[in-house]
Amino acid sequence: MKNIVLLFVLLISGLTASAQMNKVDFVEYDLDNGLHVILHQDKSTPIVAVSIMYHVGSKNEKPDKTGFAHFFEHLLFEGSANIGRGEYDKYVEKAGGTLNANTSFDRTYYYEILPSNQLELGLWLESERLLHAVVNQKGIETQREVVKEERRQRIDNQPYGSILQEAMVRAFKEHPYKWPIIGYMEHLDAAEEADYVNFYKDFYVPNNAVLSIAGDIDIEQAKTWINTYFASIPKGTKPIYRPSVVEPALGGEVRDTIYDNIQLPAVVQTYRIPAQGTPDFYAVSMLGQLLSQGESSRLYRALVDEQQKALFVGNFPLDMEDPGVSIAFGITNMGVDPAEMEAAIDAEIKKVQDELISDKEFQKLKNQVENDFVSGNSRVAGIAESLANYHMYFGDANLINTELERYLAVTKEDIQRVAKQYYKKDNRVVLYYLPKQANP
Amino acid sequence: MNLFSKKIKSIEMRNLLYILSFFSLIAIGCNKSNADKVMKEAPMLKKEAWRATAPSPAPARSIELGISTSFELDNGLKVIVVENHKLPRVSYQLSLDHDAIVEGDQAGYVTIAGQLMKTGTTTKSKADIDEAVDFIGANLSTSGSGVFASTLTKHQDKLLSLMTDILFNPSFNADEFEKIKKQTISGIASSKTDPNAMAGNVATILNNGKGHPYGEVQTEETVKSITIDKCKEYYNTYFKPNNAYLVVVGDISPAVAKANVEKYFGNWKKGKIPTVNYKKPSAPGERKVAVVNKDGAVQSVIRITYPVDLKLADDDLIAARVMNSILGGGIFSGRLMQNLREDKAYTYGARSSLRADRLVGNFNASASVRNEVTDSSVHEFLFELDRMITEGFAEEDIQLTKNSLAGSFARSLESPQTIARFALNKSRYNLPDDYYNTYLSKLDAITEADVKRVAKKYIRPDNAYVIVVGSKDDIADKLLRFDADGVIDYYDAFGNEVKYDDAELPSDITAATVLEDYIAAIGGKDKVMTVKNMTTIGAAEMMGQKLSVESFVVNNAKVRQKFIMAGNVMNDMIYDGTKVSTNGIVATSGKEMDQAKESAMIFPQLGFTSNGYKSELKGTQPVDGNPAYKIVVTKPSGDKMTQLYDVKSSLLVEEIRSEMGPGDQAMTITTGYADYKEVNGIMIPHTVTVTGMAPMPLTMTMEKVMINSTLGDDLFMIK
Repeated sequence: MKNIVLLFVLLISGLTASAQMNKVDFVEYDLDNGLHVILHQDKSTPIVAVSIMYHVGSKNEKPDKTGFAHFFEHLLFEGSANIGRGEYDKYVEKAGGTLNANTSFDRTYYYEILPSNQLELGLWLESERLLHAVVNQKGIETQREVVKEERRQRIDNQPYGSILQEAMVRAFKEHPYKWPIIGYMEHLDAAEEADYVNFYKDFYVPNNAVLSIAGDIDIEQAKTWINTYFASIPKGTKPIYRPSVVEPALGGEVRDTIYDNIQLPAVVQTYRIPAQGTPDFYAVSMLGQLLSQGESSRLYRALVDEQQKALFVGNFPLDMEDPGVSIAFGITNMGVDPAEMEAAIDAEIKKVQDELISDKEFQKLKNQVENDFVSGNSRVAGIAESLANYHMYFGDANLINTELERYLAVTKEDIQRVAKQYYKKDNRVVLYYLPKQANP
Repeated sequence: MNLFSKKIKSIEMRNLLYILSFFSLIAIGCNKSNADKVMKEAPMLKKEAWRATAPSPAPARSIELGISTSFELDNGLKVIVVENHKLPRVSYQLSLDHDAIVEGDQAGYVTIAGQLMKTGTTTKSKADIDEAVDFIGANLSTSGSGVFASTLTKHQDKLLSLMTDILFNPSFNADEFEKIKKQTISGIASSKTDPNAMAGNVATILNNGKGHPYGEVQTEETVKSITIDKCKEYYNTYFKPNNAYLVVVGDISPAVAKANVEKYFGNWKKGKIPTVNYKKPSAPGERKVAVVNKDGAVQSVIRITYPVDLKLADDDLIAARVMNSILGGGIFSGRLMQNLREDKAYTYGARSSLRADRLVGNFNASASVRNEVTDSSVHEFLFELDRMITEGFAEEDIQLTKNSLAGSFARSLESPQTIARFALNKSRYNLPDDYYNTYLSKLDAITEADVKRVAKKYIRPDNAYVIVVGSKDDIADKLLRFDADGVIDYYDAFGNEVKYDDAELPSDITAATVLEDYIAAIGGKDKVMTVKNMTTIGAAEMMGQKLSVESFVVNNAKVRQKFIMAGNVMNDMIYDGTKVSTNGIVATSGKEMDQAKESAMIFPQLGFTSNGYKSELKGTQPVDGNPAYKIVVTKPSGDKMTQLYDVKSSLLVEEIRSEMGPGDQAMTITTGYADYKEVNGIMIPHTVTVTGMAPMPLTMTMEKVMINSTLGDDLFMIK
């Protein structure tokens, strides 16, 4: 089941509603070079999360140079003019800290969690990465192999690991969401030095970044250090490339079968939905909850508990900056025909379209949203990231305190309406995942 | 199996997606190159020479641990409260505290009893419970060792009612019991071929001994024999207030917590809890090598392990953690990782652990390595263990480890659950009151002498079990030198001892006689030589899909194989004697060609001792309980395959070979042959079972077998 859990986690990002009832106080400002700074003080534990979010993800790539955003996430641990190769993480480990980074369709995120007296070290490390990262040929070649291994491990060799990729490539014809975050390996193979230099120059500039810090900090001291390390980093001179392409309607149901190295057949329905932050996205989010949050949810109860057709089933709207997708996904129980399971999923969706949900069930959804909100940001690392997210996507970091209102503005009728409007046949891609044939 | 829990939700997708990118990244080491390329000109760089130096830390803030309050109810329930108002949430965790139990031939019943509790009470069905928990957006889970519940503070009364209903009135529903048993058995089936699970089972039994509560392994048999009464008995005996801790954490004052606990748990009736004493397991007197055979494996799982007497309360504990971290901990800095991965590239990762426990702890060092470096890897493991005892430690390494452990201690304090865990440990294991408050100063005071002292005490390379799961024939001989008495012990996947009697075969039986006997048994060489072609149509069912395999072979000349699933041809292979076409992709050499040629041999056994083939008899081993001769065939390509011939009938009963699957992962494919029936005077197996290709065994029944029928040339035409 581990793999399934992993896959689930992979799909779930769309539901992460992070905010809390206890108000999160913060200060924010811009440096002259455009770097946006957000500071949140929480002295309860002597640790600090130092992070930079760059507004570049796989959707900012050129169609013939896919995978660059994620590849850069690897390259930018290689070192800088002042940090030798392989030393980046040593500085952090020696300081008693930890670090990580990740890449999505829309942005790239780097962070360290350090003892709070090492704040300045974190700022120095991040300023080095932004100001003058260093990459040599060996680093590029090594990371290229590492990324290929990563691809094998996560997508090719992971049961159901290719779901997102296979769904997106069929759900989008024009928009850059059609290619995988990890990219096509031939593009990385063909990349030249100039490509790397240009990508770094274009996107790794202070005016395309949010420096978000949360934890045991002295705000004034932090501002002084931030000024020292970041103020003299030059602003980018070119406009940042953001795709403006609007994906046309799907124009009819797409169905396909994929043979994978899996144990049990799966059905993946991918519905095209509006972008995160829109009123309809909040309604779709709550529809996803109705269908799959908790063992009393519609899909779980019907397919797993009562009919025992599915081993696992759920619906997950992904939060994406441009209009994206909501994925309904089920794995059949032993001996169950996937078509039978799909029919059962469809029947549950039809029920939402045909009948308004009860007040009691609607109240359950509101209670769950509230609980998730409160349980979000329990750690400073999460708060730093949420603040950066809200600023980067919505220009309003204070949504960390207020986004709940947007969910609570959704009505029962909205949920029924979005189920009818978006969860319909001609707006979906349906994939059957079947076990690769044994070949005795 | 609530995969929608908030716990999982709060994990970030991208963290998991790319967490390894970071770990794989540190793998590259520190090779400097002159070709460094600064990717952006930074004209101010020269003016800002101060950037070249990493800043020094500010004075460290002292680390303060949160406070907890404890009290006990009249019925013996011990309660710990940690007040923390950062979030308006509260959690209640009930943990049982009895002596560990020997579950014996019903191993697994404690876990199942725990799972069952949440599936129904005397007044509520599973659906009612799920509905009630979800309605308030709460979490509620049960296990053999207790119950956990968390919610927004304002819903806590509702949750406590539910939690205590489950705790006091579980219905032990028979249908739910069967459902859980079935799920558990499928879980065990999948672990049968997982080398790490196999090594874990053997370590469990060797380190602790059967009969010790830590020495139990659950199997399909033990789970099948679990009765619902056994589960009830466990519940009735151990779910008692005087056997439990209740830990309350979150947005709640000790006074309110006390009132709540008295209200909901005050009427819980005491019981008499059995106590048991167990003999303390000890490390082996000399080093023992234990091998679990996994035919066809291309990687070996190595686990060096032994029980240790180490408790949380021991003065040595912190020094022991520093010592183990230097050996096999850290993100990447451990000696095992540096040696086996960075220097030798034998493995993706090598790590060690040293676990403290009130009954018995253990040491573990492990890695997965390629077959051919199995013995070299064991050598390097033992070398590093020896070095821990014989050599000193650099001050820099000790400091880095101390910093890293201190940092992770500080980060853990962010969660109020950590404070609760500290309080629980203090009470459970009788730790001194300042145990955790003084952790950092004790850590800071560790010296090289301390590390040396505990290394001598806890690192025991000469009193260790060296457990290796892998292809016995490829690795066992080379492992002999590590075993003190020169005899390797063999175990099965569940830690039962297995005997291989290689030496006891009469000398007149050889690979050649076994193969000859087989040919005789299927009809004799003369009869076999008359076979010009063979057609087989087999049918199987997989995951609800009907599939069939049609195979046409002109002996040593041509092959056509079609694989049909749900009416569609999924795979179509044609070999015309000079080239091979797989789904239209044509090859004239390479692996496909070799395989095609091989499948054109209707009776390959005729050639297993000539034409570059070599066959070796490797003793006998049981197949489904019956002894069978084991023949290892080496093909001209160097690839090996194992065949097992039933001693009594002389027929081929099993074949094992390795193939590279997707992602270059080796698969071990076992094919079983049974139900031999005569066709044109020749015995042909009519049931073929393939295991290892798909997760579930695939059983194919021959619907039609024809020998020397008319096969048209167009059948073998490559377009």
